Amino acid sequence: MASQNRLSIVDDMTIYNALDQKNRLMSALAEVDMLELDLSHVGEIDTAGLQLLILSKREAARLNKSVTIVAHSPAVRQTLDFCQLAKFFGDPVVITAHETA
Amino acid sequence: MKTIFLVDDSATILLSISNILAKAGYATEKAANAEEALRKFNAGVKVDLLITDLNMPGMNGIDLIKEVRKLPAYKFMPILFLTTESQQSRKLEAKAAGASGWIVKPATADELLNTIKLVLR
Amino acid sequence: MDELTSVFIQEGREQLQAMETGLLDLEQQPDNHDNINGIFRAAHTIKGASGVIECHYIEAFMHKVENVLDRLRNGEIGVSDELTGLLLRSCDHLGRLMDVLESGAAAPEADVQQAGDALLVELAVYTNSGQKPATGGGLVEMDADVEASGGGVVNTDSWHISVRFGPHMLRGGMDPLSFIRFLSSLGEIVALETIPDAMPTAADMDPESCYLGFEIRLQTRSSKADIERVFDFCRDDCDLRILPPNSKLSEYLKLIHDLPEDEMRLGEILVRCGALTAAELEAGLDSQHDALKADQDAESEAPQIGEILVEQKVVHKAVVEAAASKQASVSEKKAVEARLIRVQADKLDQLIDLVGELVIAGASANLLAQRSGQSELVESTSILSRLVEDIRDSALQLRMVQIGETFNRFNRVVRDVAKELGKEIDLVITGAETELDKSVVEKIGDPLMHLVRNSMDHGIESPEVREAAGKVRHGTVGLNAYHDSGSIVIEVVDDGAGLPRDKIFAKAVEKGLVQPTQTLTDQEIINLIWEPGFSTAEKVTNLSGRGVGMDVVRRNIQSLRGSCEVSSIEGAGTTFTIRLPLTLAIIDGFLVGVGRAAYVIPLDMVIECIELKDNTAERDFLNLRGEVLPFVRLREMFEIEGERPVRENIVVVQYAGQKAGIVVDQLMGEFQTVIKPLSSIFRHLRGIGGSTILGSGEVALILDVQSLVQRNARSEEREMSASAALPRSTQIQ
Repeated sequence: MASQNRLSIVDDMTIYNALDQKNRLMSALAEVDMLELDLSHVGEIDTAGLQLLILSKREAARLNKSVTIVAHSPAVRQTLDFCQLAKFFGDPVVITAHETA
Repeated sequence: MKTIFLVDDSATILLSISNILAKAGYATEKAANAEEALRKFNAGVKVDLLITDLNMPGMNGIDLIKEVRKLPAYKFMPILFLTTESQQSRKLEAKAAGASGWIVKPATADELLNTIKLVLR
Repeated sequence: MDELTSVFIQEGREQLQAMETGLLDLEQQPDNHDNINGIFRAAHTIKGASGVIECHYIEAFMHKVENVLDRLRNGEIGVSDELTGLLLRSCDHLGRLMDVLESGAAAPEADVQQAGDALLVELAVYTNSGQKPATGGGLVEMDADVEASGGGVVNTDSWHISVRFGPHMLRGGMDPLSFIRFLSSLGEIVALETIPDAMPTAADMDPESCYLGFEIRLQTRSSKADIERVFDFCRDDCDLRILPPNSKLSEYLKLIHDLPEDEMRLGEILVRCGALTAAELEAGLDSQHDALKADQDAESEAPQIGEILVEQKVVHKAVVEAAASKQASVSEKKAVEARLIRVQADKLDQLIDLVGELVIAGASANLLAQRSGQSELVESTSILSRLVEDIRDSALQLRMVQIGETFNRFNRVVRDVAKELGKEIDLVITGAETELDKSVVEKIGDPLMHLVRNSMDHGIESPEVREAAGKVRHGTVGLNAYHDSGSIVIEVVDDGAGLPRDKIFAKAVEKGLVQPTQTLTDQEIINLIWEPGFSTAEKVTNLSGRGVGMDVVRRNIQSLRGSCEVSSIEGAGTTFTIRLPLTLAIIDGFLVGVGRAAYVIPLDMVIECIELKDNTAERDFLNLRGEVLPFVRLREMFEIEGERPVRENIVVVQYAGQKAGIVVDQLMGEFQTVIKPLSSIFRHLRGIGGSTILGSGEVALILDVQSLVQRNARSEEREMSASAALPRSTQIQ
């Protein structure tokens, strides 16, 4: 049974935090097979943040793991929608975080 | 509300641009020369965009851009500079110094606001 | 709040109201093109103004609404209940966005934003269907190569923008996403694909470098230079390719070839964003490359090409967005339900009918209570009847609407018709806030239209003629409304040439309506225009002279229990005055008796009641404080049997400035009553406007005071012209 882990990002996913967030994302992904991202508190997301999400998803696929966004803030959801990436991430979009069984 | 830092040695330009920005719902921070601006940046002024003239007495705009970019808090802040059509070569120089883009003087309010909208995060 | 914003909020709310009214009308008249145009205009105005004040959340939202309305206006999509419902909900949302703006918040709260996004998804169904037919006029003709040839949907009238951002963008303080977002302000992004292919694996990926690219389909009227300008600041640092609308297949193939990504993958992306169909892509690539290469590519990439892909394109945007915003749409629905209740008109009519019965029953209870002489019962029934009165007023209020909406429609009409006629005409509206029953409003549009057109066509002169007559070049047509003694008065006023009496008389003679020897007063001549088949236009224009005469206008208004009059001063203008009851359902009546019959006179027309002594003389006028008051004897008029009582009463009524007396036996007091229209057999009965049922169960006829007064006025005029001297008359103190 694969372990589960959830990573909550509460800072803006902008270029200012990109370096730090990349490290957090990649190390979190290294530790678990199924990573859940709680982005419900992300106030802003820019190109750099979007790249990190794409990178995580792609990296997970490469390692036969999975990354799921379990909660979106409006900014995150809007950006994914705008970039037509909602399908790429394929996550059920829910606004508030909920416990998964 | 987004805050825009205006640096220009002309009081008229400072006022006319800040009027346009105020109407469009932006807060403004002003400085009449690069030294004053740099002092405020060193003190950690909270701004979302810098618009600076290039030719100013004392420290010029290009040096200001270089100095501001060195400060971690402003490493990725959009920076626009004011220029005229005849100063094409300075565009490259300013871009190399770390500017994001430029506004060609004289600019209409629409041109100004559109450019700001384009680069503002 | 700054002045500009408050001006916008006011204007925006007005336009919003106009949109809403238009949409409600749209359900009634789906083919009313003027209305659809009006709705579109209102939306367009709000969008434009919100852009000026830089209120982007309103601008962005209204942009989509406008797109849908544009398609509706062009007949590309049809009117449906779903569509009008959606647009009405969009109006409600716009109202909430206005609230946000007014509250001074920088952006809507997340829940409002989500509700808006959900609406956008629904709206997208009407713009993204991809069924947009080839737009002619001004645009390059569609290239046959690009037309759908193998299934799938293409949006050939869009620009194709292909951009790969350079690695240093972010470090230069630029956010590529904001550049792409900015494109939306030039037009509409109909499709977009994010290309992250340039991004290396995690170990080599520098989070401060930019690796993204985008393929964008943009519908805009902007030029290529305008689009390029968006990317001005990163031209040296990015790979930008722009294909104009309706580019040839070969140009897309060249694009695919030039871009860094794998060709099959790029091809899929172009199919997905609607630049090409799958069949075109396959055919195109096959012809350029050897089969081996294509096979390899197909193997190395996910096997997506083909029919599935095409299908995906069709549903792509809508499905994904729908999923993403499902939750938001649920909360949106709830919010709308709470704000607005839409009631079917016939339910409202049923309610008013019931209230009518309640009024009658109340009157009956009152009557019985009074007869019983029990003071407590009288008191409680009087409280009851006051409440019933309030209920009646509230019920009627539900159907009251301002006439302004009806008036405002004429702005466009006047502008268009003036242009058509080569005249300069202003429309001046007063009293737009005057309220009247919706059932009346619905029926007054046509007669008003006829009168306004008549004024523009026959009344207002051409600028040259006006100048020659010493008038200002601009003619004015006025629409005025006000309340006057229980009626609404609507005036159509023009400052044109006035009605030409000589021509009217000549025409009437020619038509055999009057004899050439007849002497008519000026007013009588003017009134000839109401005769059936009358028209003075020297040449038949396409506005008037279509066989619909003023007599039809008059008949329409009379069928609403209204009247219309005309007054005119030659050279100075003409005024048409329409009087209508505020409501067609209930009136306050004054109950009178003649013999054993009861009649109801609308109370708001009653001025006073006078006892008529010395009533033996057989004349039909009296001197009321120095004024001649003509009167009718109901007993004679309706040939009621029985002796006149010794004491009779005169009810003095006034209608449209004319007074008259109605002689009755008894005055029985005020009486609230529900009008039951007479059946069609009695339509031609003069002097009776309807019937009602008394509390006692008896039937009372409602007098048509207007026709009574007019009947009297005519006899008065005859009397006056026959003899200047006032004959012996009854003197009243």
